[in-house]
Order: sequence, then C-alpha cells, then structure tokens
Amino acid sequence: MKIALFIPCLVNHFYPEIARDTLELLEKLGHGVSYTQGQTCCGQLMTNSGCLDQARSSVEALGKALLKEPCDAVVAPAASCVVAARENLERLTSFEDFHSLAGKIFELTEFLHDIAPLDHPLKPLRKTVSLQMSCHGLRQLGLGTASELVVARPVNKLQALLSRIPELTITQPSRDECCGFGGTFSVDERDISGKMANDKVADHLATGAEAIVGYDPSCLMSLGGVVSRKGIPLEVMHFSALLNQVT
Amino acid sequence: MSQTHARKVETFTADEARVDWHSAALLALRDKRDLQAKSLPEWEQMRETASRMKLYVLSHLPELLEQFTSNCEANGMEVHWARDAKEHNEIVAGILKERGKKKLVKSKSMLTEEVHLVPHLEKHGIECIETDLGERILQLREEPPSHIVVPAIHLKKEEIGELFHEKIGTQAGASDPTYLTHAARESMRQEFLSADAAMTGVNMAIADEGAFVVCTNEGNADMGAHLPDLHIAVMGMEKLVPDADSAALLMRMLARNATGQPSTSYNSIFGAPRPGCQLHIVIVDNGRSLRMADRRHAEIYKCIRCGACINTCPVYRRGGGHSYDYFIPGPIGLAIAGDNPEANSEAWACTLNGSCNNVCPVKVPLRETIAYHREQLAQQKQLPYHKNAYMPLAGKIFGSPRGLSMAMAAARVGLRIMPQTLQRRIGGWSKSRDFPKPPAESFAHWYRKNRGE
Ligand code: SF4
Repeated sequence: MKIALFIPCLVNHFYPEIARDTLELLEKLGHGVSYTQGQTCCGQLMTNSGCLDQARSSVEALGKALLKEPCDAVVAPAASCVVAARENLERLTSFEDFHSLAGKIFELTEFLHDIAPLDHPLKPLRKTVSLQMSCHGLRQLGLGTASELVVARPVNKLQALLSRIPELTITQPSRDECCGFGGTFSVDERDISGKMANDKVADHLATGAEAIVGYDPSCLMSLGGVVSRKGIPLEVMHFSALLNQVT
Repeated sequence: MSQTHARKVETFTADEARVDWHSAALLALRDKRDLQAKSLPEWEQMRETASRMKLYVLSHLPELLEQFTSNCEANGMEVHWARDAKEHNEIVAGILKERGKKKLVKSKSMLTEEVHLVPHLEKHGIECIETDLGERILQLREEPPSHIVVPAIHLKKEEIGELFHEKIGTQAGASDPTYLTHAARESMRQEFLSADAAMTGVNMAIADEGAFVVCTNEGNADMGAHLPDLHIAVMGMEKLVPDADSAALLMRMLARNATGQPSTSYNSIFGAPRPGCQLHIVIVDNGRSLRMADRRHAEIYKCIRCGACINTCPVYRRGGGHSYDYFIPGPIGLAIAGDNPEANSEAWACTLNGSCNNVCPVKVPLRETIAYHREQLAQQKQLPYHKNAYMPLAGKIFGSPRGLSMAMAAARVGLRIMPQTLQRRIGGWSKSRDFPKPPAESFAHWYRKNRGE
C-alpha cells in the first residue's frame, strides 16, 4: 500500500525514534512509505481547550502537507492525534479534499490490525510488557473494549498485534483508567494529573512487566516522566519499537 | 471569579493516603456496578433504549407534563409548577404554613440542594430533618454533600463516630458502622414520630398513570411519607417518563449502576394520597427549559442521577466532591454547569477520557458536553489558567510549519541545557514528572538528511 506518514509535532520533535520505527516497520512490511515536510499539529492543543478558531491554521497547514503526496492511507503512530486530526479536518475546514483526507487517516495499531493486517512472521522476543491502553485509542478509536462496556467478545487490537511475537509475555494493569495526561490538563491540574500518572505507573509496575508499551506518545511521555523522576525500573516505549525490532 | 479547581483540590490532594482511600471506596462502587451490568447480557441494549426513551421525553415535554399533571389531579393529588428556585421554595413554604406544619422530615433530593430549600424553610420557622443517613450526617456537620448518591463518602467512620458522640450521644471513640447506624436509627425514629409533614424527591414521574416512583435503600422516604398527613414530592421536570414500562427499565438500571445492587431496597410507587391525607407535587423548571433549548446542552436532562459517572471519574476520585463549584460534582456536574464563566476552570477539571460516557445508563454525552462548554467559554474569552493569553499565540506558532519547528527546536535546546534541578522547579508538569530527554534532531530533519525531500 502507498502510505503517507503523519508524524505529529510531539513525535517529530521529541520522539523521532517512534517515527523512524514506524517508517522502517511499514517498509519492512512491504508498503511504500513517504513523508512530506511541513506537517504541523492536529490542532488538539487548542481544540482541547475549546479554542477552535485558533486551531484552524494549524489544521489547514497539516492538511496541505499531507495532501502533497498521493497515497492510499495516512498512518500516524499517535492515537489522540489521529482522533483530533480526523475531527478537526472535518469540522474546521471546508475544503472537500481535507474531508476525504480525514477519512483515510489511521492510527498505526488500527492500520496493522484492520486495514493491512499484519501477517509477517515475527522474530521471538523474550520480554514482559504491560499494555498502556490510552483513552483516545481505547474509547474513541476502539482499539480495545473499555472495561465499562458489556460486550460478549471484548477486543484488544494492540494485544492482538503483539501476541504475534513469539515468547513475548503481555500483561495489563488492573484498570484501563486514564493516565492523567490530558494535554494542558497535565499542567493546569498538576496535582491530580501527577497523582493519576503515579497511580498508573504503580499499576503497570505491579504487573511485573519490564516495559510499558502503548500507542499514544503523549501518555507515554507523562508516564515516562514519572518513571524517570522516581527512578522506577521500567522501560517506556511505543509499540512500534517492539514490532520494528522483531520484523 | 471563584478559585480554580486546581487550587481547590490542593487541601484534599495534600493527604495522599486519604486520596487513595477515597478513590478506592468509589472504585468499589464502580466494580460492583460492572458486575451487575455484566450480569445482564442485554445491558448495552437497555442503555440505548433508555437513552431514546429519555430523548423522547425531552422532545415531548409539554405534552407529557400536561398529561402527568392532569392524571395526578385525577388521582387526587395537587400539582404545582415552579418557574425557578424562589417560586419552588415559596410554594413549599406556603403549603406547610397554610396547614400550620412545624416539622418536615425529608428524604434525599438533589433538587432541594439545588434550590436551597432547607435554609428557606428554616427562615419560616419550619424545622427540617434529613432522614437519609448520609444526608443526616452532613446536616449535623453543616456541610454540603460531596456526591449525589453517597453524599458522605468523603468521611471516615471514625469521623462519623466523633460526630455522633457529640450530637446524638454515642459512646466516645465508637466507630463500628453497625453500632453507629443503630444509634442513628434510634434518634431518627424520634424525628419521624414527631414530624407533621414529609418531603420526598421523585425518581421517575409516570405521565400516563399520574404516579411517581421513589427509590431508597433505607426505607426512610416511606417511613416519612406514611406517618404524617401531608406528603410533598418535589421534582425537576426532566424526571418524567411516558409510562410504567419506561419507569421499570430505568429501575432495572438505576441501582445496578449506582451502587451495584440489583435493585434499591425500597421502591415505592405513589399513586394517590392516603385517605384523609394530602399529596402535593412540585414540578420545577429553574433553568431547565433554557438549557434544553440548546441542542448541545439538552441531553444532560436524560440523566437519572445514578452517580456512576462520578464514581468512575479519575479526577473526582482524586480531588474530592468539595472541589467543585457547582453543587453536583464530577462529570454530570461539569456537563450541567461547566459553562458558568464565574467558575470557568470547572470545564477543565476533566481529561476527556470518556469513561463517564460509557458507564452512563442513558448515554448522556458527558465528554462532548464538557468539551462544548470549553468552546463556549473560549468564544466568550473566559478561559482559565492563562489560556486567554497563550492560546492565540499557540495557534499562530502551531499554524506555521516554520514557527512550530523553531519553537520546538528552542524547547529541545532549552531542555538540554537546563539542569534537571532547575527543570524540576518549573512547576506544573515538573511537579511530579521529569521532562523528556530531548533528541538532537527532529524526525523531519533526519528524514531530509537521510531520505531527501
Ligand atoms: S450522567 Fe449518566 S452516569 Fe452520570 S449520574 Fe446521570 S445517569 Fe448517572
């Protein structure tokens, strides 16, 4: 498939390794991958605070950059940015091409699970990981079944993907509660946000895992911040790093 | 302008052990709710049906109100319509005073909190006794509820023991819940016997029957309503349901979702006054029609006040129910009143994680309504936490690829050269978390170098 990468600002500037892992992984899986310069922010920073007008130029710039290269799908390694990009391209712009672009943006988990299912043989990896099922991916993108819902057959797309890695042990924290990041919430509501992040890290640690693995870099940044502050023996990583390593 | 929510939580969050205890108590409710919900395979279908039924109610309110009123009157009740809190309180005081009533026993009602009924009646010399145990505890402490279903959830049994020792004479140092409950019951019994009027709330008002349902766990509403010759029931006008089947659907969900019980212990349907007695219903608007007129706000009135969204809310559990400006805390409180510019940080006491939406038995779009309030406040330039100042700037920087990449590069350099000790003193984020270790170059830069344009 011809894929255009959407690399959200946080990943681009603070976690470029996530972008490289995503790029390499998709290439190894046989996709043609391109990346266009000039990508900005999905607008989430502003729209999360209700500032729709202030987000418009960023969303338009992102749309323009993504349209530079024709593709079958746009893939991004960040769930909340995918949710925001789709929503904001739809509601903040009136350009037809932006609306159809919104319809083909996928988060990496969802792309590998639903759009171009991962069927490559994977190398074994002896490691115990704990899944960080962040809220936007879980409840807005349906990457898993949230614990509140009464569903006969719950799904977990991240687990489904990673369970294809031989010898990998997958655990999950006792609750799928929010990690407390929430964009500017992490600064505005420092006490509650910090407490939530600490509780989440403790829950991951209690699983006995060596690493927290997730699909949302911003939540991982928050959890990583606690891990670093407290010197907790846990790796914090985006799942693209795992998959790229074993593909 | 009231203090920000972030400031208001500080006293509560300062005691981390207490936060953990509080959070665990509420999570226990959430867990029991999950068990009960999962015992009904048709749960999600029930939520959808209940949501549609309540949407029907909201879109047919005038007809249903008239139908309910005329059926109640045909059943021998008296129905009063109150435009606002003031009118409600005057009506209730009037009913009581006309009949020379002096002492009112009341079961739990969030509406009476909303309209500040008790202080009003006390001004008129009418004694009001809360008979729900949690509410009674708070009345004795002269404190507002911190939760809509379990109003005294913020208190430990030792604190209640001390209070009861002082107020109703239990043994000093006693904190055994069974002992304290018995003592409360003893003292409450005297109040029931000496009251000359009773007030209850309404859980569901059945339009085509002219009857209403009251659900409690303690039987206090029934004890109150069945002794004196006057019963006043007060309700917000959204409590209507078309028929008994609709009420039954909500009754199947209410206690399951609220406390994880298959049903509340006492469920009474009041359909007519007892012989020789009077039954009055006061239906209140108090801003409801205005909010209902706004499509993006209206669905809050599907709410059946089960409190489940509050129990699951990670912010509420860690910040406590007294950290909110509005008298209803948590997601539903924010969804109702988060547009208040006087308490403009409320709508930001939320990570938009959406767990509340999923537990709600009537699918109130809590997350979306809270996000909507943020938009409204942004438009009025009433943003909290300095956002009025920095959001337009952020919009400009993020809107320009060059600007964004320069700003981010500067942030990377800043974080690289600033010593950790200094970073930790920035506050906000760094109060409990380190900043990420910034890489030498961005992905865009790496890509251009290694892969070309
Ligand atoms: S909004 Fe829904 S979950 Fe919250 S109290 Fe109302 S009915 Fe219950």
